[in-house]
Order: sequence, then structure tokens, then C-alpha cells
Amino acid sequence: MKLDCSGLACPEPVLQTKKALEELPNDSVLEVTVSSLASKENVMRFAQNGGFDTRVQDVEGGKSLITIVKGFTCNVVGNTKDELFLDKTLFLKSDKVGDGELGAKLIVGFLKSTLELPKLPRRIICVNQAVLLTTADESAPIMEVLRALEAKGVEIYSCGVCLEFYGVNDKLKVGKIGNAFGTIEMLFGGEGTISL
Amino acid sequence: MNNEAKLTKYVKAAGCAAKLGPGDLTEALGGLSCTHKNVLVGMDTSDDASVYYLDEERALVQTVDIITPVVDDPFVYGQIAAANSLSDVFAMGGEVATAMNIVGFDGCHHPRSVLKEILAGGQNKVQECGAIIIGGHTIEAPEMTYGMSVTGFVHPKKIYRNNTPRIGDVLILTKPLGMGILTTAIKADMLENSVIEKVASILATLNHKASQIMRKYDVSACTDVTGFGLFGHASEMSFNQVTIAFEMQNIPILDEARALADMGIIPAGAYNNKSYLSSKVDAKVPHKDEIILYDAQTSGGLLIAVSQDDAPKLLQHLLDEGLTYSAIIAEILPLGEKPLLYM
Repeated sequence: MKLDCSGLACPEPVLQTKKALEELPNDSVLEVTVSSLASKENVMRFAQNGGFDTRVQDVEGGKSLITIVKGFTCNVVGNTKDELFLDKTLFLKSDKVGDGELGAKLIVGFLKSTLELPKLPRRIICVNQAVLLTTADESAPIMEVLRALEAKGVEIYSCGVCLEFYGVNDKLKVGKIGNAFGTIEMLFGGEGTISL
Repeated sequence: MNNEAKLTKYVKAAGCAAKLGPGDLTEALGGLSCTHKNVLVGMDTSDDASVYYLDEERALVQTVDIITPVVDDPFVYGQIAAANSLSDVFAMGGEVATAMNIVGFDGCHHPRSVLKEILAGGQNKVQECGAIIIGGHTIEAPEMTYGMSVTGFVHPKKIYRNNTPRIGDVLILTKPLGMGILTTAIKADMLENSVIEKVASILATLNHKASQIMRKYDVSACTDVTGFGLFGHASEMSFNQVTIAFEMQNIPILDEARALADMGIIPAGAYNNKSYLSSKVDAKVPHKDEIILYDAQTSGGLLIAVSQDDAPKLLQHLLDEGLTYSAIIAEILPLGEKPLLYM
């Protein structure tokens, strides 16, 4: 859509731009022509502070053409995902937190509490004995917690080599099998890693 | 507020936003001379009002100012235009004696009753400072304008000039900024009535009380902030002899004005002022609200240079007397790279 605001004084160019952007569907482009410095600065200010992708170029007759993009679907999806998850990876090396019976209870308690957080960790990586969690019996308390995390979109990976080592590769019930390269990439690529 | 007359809808720009830019004005006035032994303050220093020596006790203070409507209510417009015209005498440290109305009346769009209300508003403010309207002149005009030619007196040895601050002084501003932006929004019907009332009451506040209070303290210079914005008038105050260092966070700006500025509701006058002044300004920490420092103010507050010792007392006195937006906003430093800086 094109909008010619040449010769109009403040606040008219901004108000017309605002109205046009409100009426345009997502993924459209609005081109506003203005003829004064004040109008150029004002329309740019309005669009940029409104979160729109904005560009400006000088055109003939001392005028400026301001291109405003309404809605970037990929941005919107990225934003919603950012709103739900912390950019953190939970790195589990054992099926317990500490030793013994208490350790086994703690891991369930910890993961269960994680479920209550407003933002969840983006992924959980299980290596070594931790693969015994993702391959536990259906009746084990941990299974319910892991399934709930997965249902909320947390990615859960179990180390393939580890599954083979413990002879449980056919018992994986939650998440996917991860490989060494993918694991390392996730550990270094994310903002933070938490190890228990 | 009686907004039925819709005064602001029939003018191109609101209030001092309609003022000719400082660059244009300097050029036009360049050829005029007003040197005379009795002229104590003339046009050469861009001061607020002229001062003419009468005798050892008295000097004549004269000024004239007209503005286009900034609100739709005729009575309130009259009050604001009067406050704006009278202010220049107060900025010189004087008292007003008489005023004459100057009216350009848009009879095509407004009935005569509107004129009567505007003049009543003007009279109301002139009376408030103990002065009297003794005449005036009205012409038909395509756009409504109103203001006054104002005459007052000041002691010739107690003139508060705009360009004599001392190094070490601090600056106090007595009204918040953002009025050019807000009056532009009023013209576009973008503000709620409660906000319009708040803005109108700030605009209609006389600088009389602030002026009387300041005269009790160790003040070295004073001006009022109007069409050239805070930085325009501060630049005149620095006179390229000192550097005025502003603290952005201490400058009173109405929140509504900040929000409108974010939306791009900024009159062209602000950009004109900025392009004229930007070479004199050092932005130590650039701020998104910088443009508001150039916003043309109608009936703006006094900008007072006061000694550091007296500053807290003067500030408290202003606050106690109901000038609640008053704040210490800057310090006068020896001349650095540029005459104005903010951080």
C-alpha cells in the first residue's frame, strides 16, 4: 500500500500512517512518502517504536520514502517460543541427585518443581546413568514428570551410546535418542547449561 | 473546558510551534540597530524584553507576544496567551503595569462571543498580577491570533538579563517541558479532557510568583523558555561564554509528552530548533527524549541561574508556593568544547 503525506504538517502523517497500519493485514508493506524532515523523523519514530521493520530512502523532489513492514511471521513465532522457555539446557549425568534412596527421590522432586516454573528449560540431555530415567518402568514416578515436561514442549534427549551400554535402547519411553555431536552442540550453543 | 469553539482546528500550527525559527529570525533582524544611551537591554542579546532607562529608580520594560490557539476553550486560550505575553517582563525581574490587546480575529469560523471570552481570559490574568489592560487593537484575520503588548517597570540596577550566568551557578526550571508536543496533540484531538486540563493549567500559570520569589535569592541570570525550546533559550543564556551541563534525568518532562514523542507527534518547530542548535550541543549520553529539549514551549517556565548555596532554598520556596514542577536541571561550567551538553 502507498500513502502520500507530502505537504502535510504534524501530526497528520503519523496519524495517517497509524490508521493505514491498523487496517493493513499482517505481512504487508506500507510505503509512506513525506516531504519534510519533521514528518520523516516522526513517521520513522512512530514505526520503529511500534516494533515495525522500517527503512527510509531519499527520493526526488527532496522527499523521503519510508517503507514499513507489518508483521514478520517468523519473528512472531520466535517470540512466543522465547516467552515460554529459558535458553537453558539441563544436563543430567545420573538417575539420582546425590547418592542412595534420597538421591532418587530428589531427582523426581526437582523435575516436578521445574514444571511449576513460568519458563521451562529449553531441553534436557540425559547421559550415563541418567538414561535410566527415560527408560524407567511405566509405573515409576519419574515417568509422569518427564511426560509432562515433554508435553509442554521441553526437548528431551538420551545419549545413544549410554542406552546401548546399559542395554536399554529398546526401553526408551520419553524423548529422542541424541548423538554425541548434537549433544555437544546443544551444550555450547545455548545460553546456559545446568548440571545436577 | 468548553471545547465547542474548536479554536485549534482552524490554525496551521499551535501556539509557539507557529513561531518563526531562530535562524530565520536572526537573519531578518540582522540589519536593525537599536543602540541608544537609554537602551539598557536591546535586541543584540536576544533577551526577553527591552529595557529603557527612565531615572535612577525606574526603567521601562516592554515586550510583545502573540500566539495562535493552543486549546479549544476561548477563555482558557485568552488566559494562556496573556500568561505567555506577560512572562517576558517577569523574566527580566520586573512588574507589569499596563497591557494592550492585539487580536487577529478569525470571524469566518467563530462568532463574536468567542472574542469576548478570549479577552475576558486575558483580562483575568492581567488582573492576577496586579496590572491593567488599557487598550488594544483588533483586525480580521484568516487565522486566530491573540496576545499583548506589555509595559512594566524594573529597577535599572536590578535587571535580570538572560546571558549573565556565573560559573558554578545551577539552573532551575519552573515548569515542565513538552508543551509544543502536547498542544499539537490537543489540536489533533488525541488527548483526554483530564490531560488537556492539566496542560492548560500549566500553560495558564503566570511566571509572576516565580519571578517575585527568585528576586529574594542570589540569582545571576533569568529567561523564560518559549518558542526556541529549552536548548534554544539555554544557548542564549550561555552566550558562548560558558558551558551549561544538563542532567537529563532531572529535567521535568510531562509523561504524556514522552509518550507522544515516542509516537512521533512532534511539531516541525522542534526539528527546526534542533537543526539550528545541534552544532552547539554535546550529547554525552544520547537519550531518546532529546528532541523534547528542543520542543517549542508556549508560556514556558522561568530558567533561573542561581548560586549553589541559594539553589536549595530557592527551589524549596518555589515548591512551597505551588510551583511543583520546579527542579534543578543544570550546572554552569567553564566553556568547554560546546556551550551546551547533556548526560
